[in-house]
Amino acid sequence: MNKLILKLRSFFYLLPNITEALFSKPETIAYPAVSHRPSESYRGSVRIIAENCVGCGLCVRDCPAAALSLEKVSKGCFRLDHYRDRCTSCGQCEMSCKFNSIYLDNLYKEASADRVDFFEVLVDKTKKK
Amino acid sequence: MSKITVPIGPQHPLLKEPLSFLVSLEGEKVIDSTLRLGYVHRGIEKLAEQRTYIQNAYLIERICGICSHIHSTTYCQSVEALLKLEVPKRGLYIRMLLCELERIHSHLLWLGVLAKNIGLNTLFMYAWRDREIVLNIMEEISGGRVSHAVNIIGGVRVDLNEKHLSLLQKSLQELNMRVDEILQSIENDRSFRARTRNIGCLSLEDIKRYCVVGPVARASGLDIDIRRDAPYAAYDELSFEVPLMTEGDVWARSILRILETIQAIRLCTQIIHNLPKGPVSVSAPRRVPAGEVVSRAEAPRGEVFYYVRSDGSQNPARLKVRTPTLTTLITLPGQLKNMQLADVSAVIAGVDLCIACGDR
Amino acid sequence: MNQFYLFFRIFIFPGFLFLLVIALFLHWLDRKLIARFQGRVGPPWYQPVADLVKLFAKEDILPSGTNLFFAALLPLTSFASVLTASFYLPIAIQSAPSFQGDFIVLMFLLSIPSLLYFLAGWITGGVYSVIGGNRALLQYFSYEVLFLLAMSGTAIASGSWSLADIRLAQIKEGPYIFPQIAGFLLSLAGLIGKLKREPYDIPKAKSEVIAGALTEFSGKKLALWYLTIHLQTMVGLSFLIHCYFSGFWQMNTISGFFIFLLLLIILQGVLSAISAIYARLRIDQLIHLNWHIFIPIALLHNIFILLI
Repeated sequence: MNKLILKLRSFFYLLPNITEALFSKPETIAYPAVSHRPSESYRGSVRIIAENCVGCGLCVRDCPAAALSLEKVSKGCFRLDHYRDRCTSCGQCEMSCKFNSIYLDNLYKEASADRVDFFEVLVDKTKKK
Repeated sequence: MSKITVPIGPQHPLLKEPLSFLVSLEGEKVIDSTLRLGYVHRGIEKLAEQRTYIQNAYLIERICGICSHIHSTTYCQSVEALLKLEVPKRGLYIRMLLCELERIHSHLLWLGVLAKNIGLNTLFMYAWRDREIVLNIMEEISGGRVSHAVNIIGGVRVDLNEKHLSLLQKSLQELNMRVDEILQSIENDRSFRARTRNIGCLSLEDIKRYCVVGPVARASGLDIDIRRDAPYAAYDELSFEVPLMTEGDVWARSILRILETIQAIRLCTQIIHNLPKGPVSVSAPRRVPAGEVVSRAEAPRGEVFYYVRSDGSQNPARLKVRTPTLTTLITLPGQLKNMQLADVSAVIAGVDLCIACGDR
Repeated sequence: MNQFYLFFRIFIFPGFLFLLVIALFLHWLDRKLIARFQGRVGPPWYQPVADLVKLFAKEDILPSGTNLFFAALLPLTSFASVLTASFYLPIAIQSAPSFQGDFIVLMFLLSIPSLLYFLAGWITGGVYSVIGGNRALLQYFSYEVLFLLAMSGTAIASGSWSLADIRLAQIKEGPYIFPQIAGFLLSLAGLIGKLKREPYDIPKAKSEVIAGALTEFSGKKLALWYLTIHLQTMVGLSFLIHCYFSGFWQMNTISGFFIFLLLLIILQGVLSAISAIYARLRIDQLIHLNWHIFIPIALLHNIFILLI
């Protein structure tokens, strides 16, 4: 009997599925009218805790996309730049940092029409105190 | 009757990635076809020689978006073999978990693309809706839906806690139900069968002549699977079956891939139940001693093959990648003899091309 | 006063604007239903209008060597023929006096756009357009015949080729849907083949020929082609409702109009469901299905109606 029903259903197999889908909540959201929050562990933009950064350059050495650059004037006097348009949010800088200074948060909405917005000075310790 | 050449050209709604495929038709019947690659060649093998081993792990991931984790697994395996490192068991299990999750996601993506190409948009949407479950798991574990960045030389860099494990268990149960339903739909729906039965047949002799690997070979009767024949990353501690079919047409490949998905879900369940305790990685030195090594793994599309040669510095001297798509691409003109133009879309979708893998 | 009334009836109601509003509404319903069947949210209610406005703003460019006069004439002629077809069809409001044979005239006017679709593929040249046009012509030869044969069942049963007589016969004997359910299903299949919807959308299969005969069109011409398709859907469905469901309502009343609209919505829902559950058929499978299965059933059905 089951085989007969299956044979009959094979002519329009997906009909029960589409009626079930019609009366349930849709799986997509009407973005951007409805906002979307990524999970906590999502790898988004690079952020810094400037007090902890000593300018060792481990993150710069290990970045696969050359998105970080360090300009050293003298010991303790440096500037760390970040090129957001080259960054791939891989998280290697967070892993390489031994001083818990650079980390990734889960923000991802960063569109801009101006190239200038993608260059960021993360740490500026060039002025002598 | 006159001959027409239809360019399934670099840009076409049929293809996910650019590929130049010129099909010569007489009426609706295909007579001849020529293939041309190279539109997505990025020179990754040359770029890898200019970066350190640590940076290469991220570069290698970007060879392909769908099978990114397998590429980085094979790369890390080969460098660990050169360094003679022993990765802790927990790290190997997490690597395997993500490999199998990626297999599930790749097969569901492929099913959606095949269904879209033959006009069954509903199955496309259903398969990709189920794929969202897998992508959400991967986002929770690794931080990225498609680019995971989990492998480092010496192990993995993420760990699974209780929250991840319970999420995994719940999601895998739901996924099991949905994939079973998808299997029933493919096996029984008449319009799907009408478009994929006896299309693009490859016999066992063709498979052996062109050295085809992966689900395309298994659908024609060749029983090879690197996870079982040459186990890597603790696959010898898990039990799974390798499905095999003999018809060799697009329909057999569909059924086979969904059966593989069910086996992958089974493997994931075993992994999360038998997860050993301990560290997930060991620290690796930056300089790799001189030597050469060959490493293989089972990507969703077949056997992926890496050759790494190092000369004692921080950068590799040569990195060679052979992806499974290259073997299946060569069979395309042979599959299309005496097919109609409408079957070209089913055949191209049926071999699951990943041109970015093929071009590197 | 008389001229203002005529202008109102031709352009506003039940003329051009009214038909356009209902056709776009049916198109939106189709897209929304298919989206919900697939588990998606679907487009908002103003989407078809937004699409048309966008198309009117686009650049109108054709390959060099195209006969520009005919490239502009074809979409206009197909649009005009579908509008003329709607002129003869009573959409719950009697608009034009019916005459003997207007059934056939309506059928002919509804089939002109398919022929012009094929010609559009030929004049723009290019591999995709020509292949799409050829497939459309092959489908036209098969499914127009099926549509005519299946719908003729109602004309035979009522004994005349005039739309008003078909309606009067249904008011006397009851709607034709119940004794002629097979004919209704076959004419629905024929309508899907005429409209080139899934599963018969091989002439404009996106994964093989990109957009079929309309690949090279853009801008206002493409907007007119899309309007033709929307209007053809609506007029085809109204034709089906008139021939099979006419006994259910009174002409020229508000309640009749709403029942008609409800039937339109239900039939559009059936069309969307059929589009969602089937894969696209190959051209030889289509022809085989038509000539080996559908047409014999339609012939037997008509003979059966004749004998009873």
